[in-house]
Amino acid sequence: MAILDKFSGLAARYEQLKASGGDPFSIQFDDIISSVEGVVKGKRTLLFGTNNYLGLTFDPISMERSIDAIRKHGTGTTGSRIANGSYREHEKLERELADFYGHEHCMVFSTGYQANLAMISTLVGKDDHLIIDADSHASIYDASRLGHAPVVRFRHNNPEDLAKRLARLKDQPGEKLIVVEGIYSMLGDTAPLKEFVDVKREFGAYLMVDEAHSMGVLGQRGRGLAEREGVEEDVDFVVGTFSKSLASVGGFCVSSVEGFDILRLAARPYMFTASLPPAIIASTLSALETLRNEPQRRAKLRANSRRFYNGLKDAGFTVGPEANPIVAVILNDPAVATMFWKRLVDEGMYLNLALPPATPNSSAFLRSSVSAAHTEEHIDFAIALMTRVGREFGILPEAPEYSNVTPFPRVSAERLSARAATAPARRRAADVGAGMA
Amino acid sequence: MTEDRVALISEISEVLETVTNKAIELKPGMNIVNDLGLDSIAVMNFCMALEDRFDISIPLHDMASVVTVDDLASTIETLRSNA
Ligand SMILES: Cc1ncc(COP(=O)(O)O)c(C=O)c1O
Repeated sequence: MAILDKFSGLAARYEQLKASGGDPFSIQFDDIISSVEGVVKGKRTLLFGTNNYLGLTFDPISMERSIDAIRKHGTGTTGSRIANGSYREHEKLERELADFYGHEHCMVFSTGYQANLAMISTLVGKDDHLIIDADSHASIYDASRLGHAPVVRFRHNNPEDLAKRLARLKDQPGEKLIVVEGIYSMLGDTAPLKEFVDVKREFGAYLMVDEAHSMGVLGQRGRGLAEREGVEEDVDFVVGTFSKSLASVGGFCVSSVEGFDILRLAARPYMFTASLPPAIIASTLSALETLRNEPQRRAKLRANSRRFYNGLKDAGFTVGPEANPIVAVILNDPAVATMFWKRLVDEGMYLNLALPPATPNSSAFLRSSVSAAHTEEHIDFAIALMTRVGREFGILPEAPEYSNVTPFPRVSAERLSARAATAPARRRAADVGAGMA
Repeated sequence: MTEDRVALISEISEVLETVTNKAIELKPGMNIVNDLGLDSIAVMNFCMALEDRFDISIPLHDMASVVTVDDLASTIETLRSNA
């Protein structure tokens, strides 16, 4: 056991979390019946914590193409592209992504995490500088540790602070790479990209934007925040993932920087891991087509996001700063957040419990992500349920005339073979939550 | 310990207070992680606040080799004289 002794503090905190009512790390779905519905402990549950923004995980064409790809090319590539070679489809996916973004080059990776790890750790070396937002995703922090460049952090979404830190490095040799995200994954806020671009230009730095949560979500064509803000020309590297809007797994980077392809022989998280399997490439290509051809999904996603965000805000919850598909309800106290979360799961709504250290400012919140596949009925159910529990927990003021009977929405698009339990959402006696907060 | 060093350490204490919101009297031999109970995020925020106070750039990896308060003071002195 000695080798694990260093985790005793973490283990104690985990025990405490479990004792406080819920264990978000071991929740299990008995079944998933559509992109927004699953079964937890035998009970039909609405999924509000999936990042499945366009609702494409059950897209019939994507599924068919995946199955066809397996039949033709097998279940796996069993090696990296450097060692085992590329399949034609890897290159096709890279061409399609480059075309979508209007860039010259693209590399795909086995996860979005590895895309960041590979690009960031390789682009800047020991004589360069890496400048990252203080609230960056773990993959960006890990990349900063894998690479050799000195790392400087700037205050979250603060262009003046970035400028101040770049000014301190002004006389130091080496290239500077600034890394920001399109939509931040915890609170759903967007980066002030136009201002960042001004700073980048002033100091002659390179700019990378991680559009993990904004691809398929923002911009006329769904390319992300840089498109919406009209600054794509000034973004030198766009990184993204297939695991959210594109409903599979994998990551990519597009760029028009000359000589880009040399990274294939330098980026270790690209070189030393197995490449994406045929089924994943096939469904990702299909989802990318859908993303491009069906802007109505983006419109529906936006409408859903606004409905959910405004509904929770009007109910009196403290929400994140912008109405994006990531909607965070900020509760601050981790114990209250955990009980609240457990209660929602018990009543048929799944969302993410976000606890420190994964959250900014050591806060705790309930993080949900809205999908284009949610119906208005789903969203209204979720708002009503969260409002009722919020009142019971004393987080929201009581409303005596409020009816606490919210019918569970009918199944929207159940998978034909799903043998889902269909127990309706039951209202539990006010036990765990009573007297909280 | 020189007077400059004493003054610097008291300035560092002030910065630390802004990060942790509690009064801490720093001694040169104190271990930043163990004695001050700072987790990795608090250390990074401390680092950012120090950069602003002293108008220097402290790369995160420079912080990795800092163990005691005295190490930190030396690092800051070096970075300041290079600036
Ligand atoms: C901002 C950001 N970047 C990168 C990733 C990593 O993507 P993936 O989960 O596809 O590896 C995520 C999500 O997990 C993310 O939120």
